[in-house]
Amino acid sequence: MTAENAITAIRALFPVLTALASLALVPLIRLWRGPQRDDAATYATFAVQLLLLVTAVGAALAGAGYLSTLKIGQITIDPSEPGRLLVLLGGIVFAVIVGAGEGRRAGTMGQIALFGIAAIDLALAIPSGIAPIALLLFASLGISGAAASGKDDVGRARAVFRDLRTVSLLLPAVVIAEILRTAISYAAIDASYATPASLAAGTALGVSLVLIVAAGVFPFHNRLIKIFEALPIVGSLLVGVWIPSALALIVMSELSALAGSITDPLGGAIVPGILLAGAATLTFGAVSALLHDDIGEIVGYIAVGNAGWLALAAAAALQSPADTSSRLIVLPGMLTISLFGLWLVSVRRRYGTTSISELGGWARRTGANGIALAAAIVALAALPPGAVLAARLNLLLLGGNPLIALFAVVGQVILIVAAIRLLLVGFTPQSQAVHEAETRPFANLITVSLVVGALFVAAAAAGWLALESGGTGALPPAPSVSPAVSFDPVPSGEPTSSASASPNLSPEVSPSSSGEMSPAP
Amino acid sequence: MPSLELPLVLVAILAGSLAVTSAGRGAWVAIAVLALSSSALEFSVADPNRIGLMLRLSAIGIGLAAAIPENLFEREALRRDLALRTLVRTLREHPVVVASAFAGLLLGLVPLALPIESSSDALRAAGIALLVVGLPPLLTSRFIEATTRAAVVTLAGTLLLRTSIFGALDPLAALAVGAGFTCILVVGGGVATRISNAEEER
Repeated sequence: MTAENAITAIRALFPVLTALASLALVPLIRLWRGPQRDDAATYATFAVQLLLLVTAVGAALAGAGYLSTLKIGQITIDPSEPGRLLVLLGGIVFAVIVGAGEGRRAGTMGQIALFGIAAIDLALAIPSGIAPIALLLFASLGISGAAASGKDDVGRARAVFRDLRTVSLLLPAVVIAEILRTAISYAAIDASYATPASLAAGTALGVSLVLIVAAGVFPFHNRLIKIFEALPIVGSLLVGVWIPSALALIVMSELSALAGSITDPLGGAIVPGILLAGAATLTFGAVSALLHDDIGEIVGYIAVGNAGWLALAAAAALQSPADTSSRLIVLPGMLTISLFGLWLVSVRRRYGTTSISELGGWARRTGANGIALAAAIVALAALPPGAVLAARLNLLLLGGNPLIALFAVVGQVILIVAAIRLLLVGFTPQSQAVHEAETRPFANLITVSLVVGALFVAAAAAGWLALESGGTGALPPAPSVSPAVSFDPVPSGEPTSSASASPNLSPEVSPSSSGEMSPAP
Repeated sequence: MPSLELPLVLVAILAGSLAVTSAGRGAWVAIAVLALSSSALEFSVADPNRIGLMLRLSAIGIGLAAAIPENLFEREALRRDLALRTLVRTLREHPVVVASAFAGLLLGLVPLALPIESSSDALRAAGIALLVVGLPPLLTSRFIEATTRAAVVTLAGTLLLRTSIFGALDPLAALAVGAGFTCILVVGGGVATRISNAEEER
């Protein structure tokens, strides 16, 4: 390998390399400080936070240009703009969360975050097909397993068990969608197949199902709630929000390509179904967030509301493939939920309780947490009005159903009210738990990083920093390789009439070996 | 190795059926046999340099090493659990699974079930049979080890079905899916241990 190739490999795989480096660094620090030293965990946490920040900066410097495109034989790893942006922001967000979480396992949580954002970057760098979706699904399972380890908690173990079942069921759905998508090109030239529109509808259903289940769209919201109840916040955010959002980017890209390649309208009730699920999820998440008393559950239901927006965005990607609004809302949504997660972990760590009734006056006692939640509310409301709010309104317009739009708007308003309720509790008279809690001075590294990090993330989520414009670029295109199927090309049976016709003659799409659709010549 | 394709298909389906119907040693040995046979079917034809096959076998080997329970390799117990009579009795006690596997095999052999050119009949039949055998316990089982094994059977079936149409996975996808097999086995084993520990403490 030449020096040039090595540099390209480092640029392409930087987040993966730093994640792997943490596997050596943390044990070395523990060895250096000695097992009996109490501060070994603190040093390990600090080192992992540093690695997270290095990953963020390194990914931003490496960028997504051609210099970072690695080719090894037939394998291409082509980092994407969205992937690199997610690493940049993920490194900062999780460094702050790990710092606020403190504790014995904070270093391990930081390592999990490193692997999570590395998996997201790698998945978004692989040309579409089964690999990126499989990578994200299995990364989600691995992260939930790692985050739940450490203590024999039945609730945690059951949440991971549920995730194992979900992931194992989603991969067949992806493969079936892939097969149906390939059949579209045959259907265009052979009347014995189903129509291209109905096959496209089946493909859209299979691909959307991955997003709907992984993101926790109604009626699959329970998985998300259990994740937020059971897993530590870093694991919850990665498994429940960040990885589903990365999946959403891939799914929306696939849906746009699918809808763009079909001239007839999609068959079935796919788009109305997804729209309905999105609006129902938003409303259900919002009302549940307003009615619950546990801040962990409330943050979980706010994440459910965000999943509703993802479903609405998927429907918009199917209806208007060229419109980028669907991809514009993904990043702000995940950053907003991360801010709520940051606030949650900080309050839980400080007061040792998650019940609203025991958290009266928390904002007066710890102003930094109040600033973090206020920033999260501003991000949730996307204020002042800008690109993010415009994208959300555009999604509702693209949906074309006033009732769905009304439900979505009402749901979003209730979500904001539920979040404001949390803030207002912070200004009521102090409860005993809050009064007796030990607080640290404001001029403290963790507190300052909490406030600065919250403001930065809120600015990105609300659209002030216009960071999302760098993350809406298209994902790497599918490789236009010729089919490498090694089996005898003679058809195994019916239909035989079209066997002599090359699929490449399809007027719309042609299959590749990866099952990918690429424009026919 | 086209001549070995049919025997491997039958072995894979039989191992898949035993993996979801047996308990303990028989099931884990069946999973190992299923992994070997389905990997050989998936990669033998299309992957001349065998990278995909090696990745898959290594991944499943690591996963099995982490997931299999202690005392699996007790010689006498292994001989008892793997006796032909025991295996036949297990299958006879689960006629629905055997019928499902047979129905899946027939369904997969009918080309109209998946009317896509250039697909391989034998692989398609094996894939659908394993899917039909693996999916019901994956959806309904309350036992973690059984669900883990059903997940492996389902994933193997899915990949065989995919291979029958698209050919073997490229090395990167093979790496991702191999890591997935390891992940399922390791996480499933870990969850089972944690729940049994917690229940013992309780």
